[in-house]
Amino acid sequence: MAERRKFKKRYCRYCEQKVEFIDYKDLNLLKFSLSERFKIMPRRLTGNCKRHQEMVTVAIKRARQTALIPYIVDRKNVIDNPFDLIR
Amino acid sequence: MNHYETLFVVKPTLTDEETKAQIEKTIAIITDNGGEIVAVDDMGMRKLAYPVEKNERGYYTVVYYRAPATLIAELERQMRYNEEILKFMTVKYTRKKEIEQFDKMVAATNQKQHAPVEPKQKETPVSEAAEPAAEPANKEA
Repeated sequence: MAERRKFKKRYCRYCEQKVEFIDYKDLNLLKFSLSERFKIMPRRLTGNCKRHQEMVTVAIKRARQTALIPYIVDRKNVIDNPFDLIR
Repeated sequence: MNHYETLFVVKPTLTDEETKAQIEKTIAIITDNGGEIVAVDDMGMRKLAYPVEKNERGYYTVVYYRAPATLIAELERQMRYNEEILKFMTVKYTRKKEIEQFDKMVAATNQKQHAPVEPKQKETPVSEAAEPAAEPANKEA
């Protein structure tokens, strides 16, 4: 329940902006759905609609493959400034 | 003919001319095998999110093109052999909406490349798009 309170249920950000397609190179669009540790945020926390969540997962996975965003961030491979990557 | 987009990362240790040569080499593979280049986007030198073959940075390039499906196998085979290329990925655009987006991205990159010269130009003919793209590479980096 603690998690519930932290993240208020919101509307889908992509629907608000009328995003038709999420490009994996466009990191500004991806960062809504990434946690601090670059995990994909679940739909129940971000409030994304199903259609956009599916698009965003594909895009995030592609961005990971091309080293645009990291797969994992933990104590062994720390990023000095995570917001450097997402500008 | 399908719509494709290939992103590849060239090693940071090369000089500017060598990087440019690598990009031209990739473009040559596509044109020689019956593909048409639509746009070339130089994303420039970027920090990689994680080290790849012990490199921390890489030179990103995105090529948008139309090509027969057989080209992709050949292109990827050659990229895999090429030791100067750290990473590559090809994305295919098939559905109607995806192709619309493809055209939009192409228009955006062409505008970006030609902005200092001709701001009004939207879609450049195929043959022209390949050449001017190679030149402003240094400006953005």
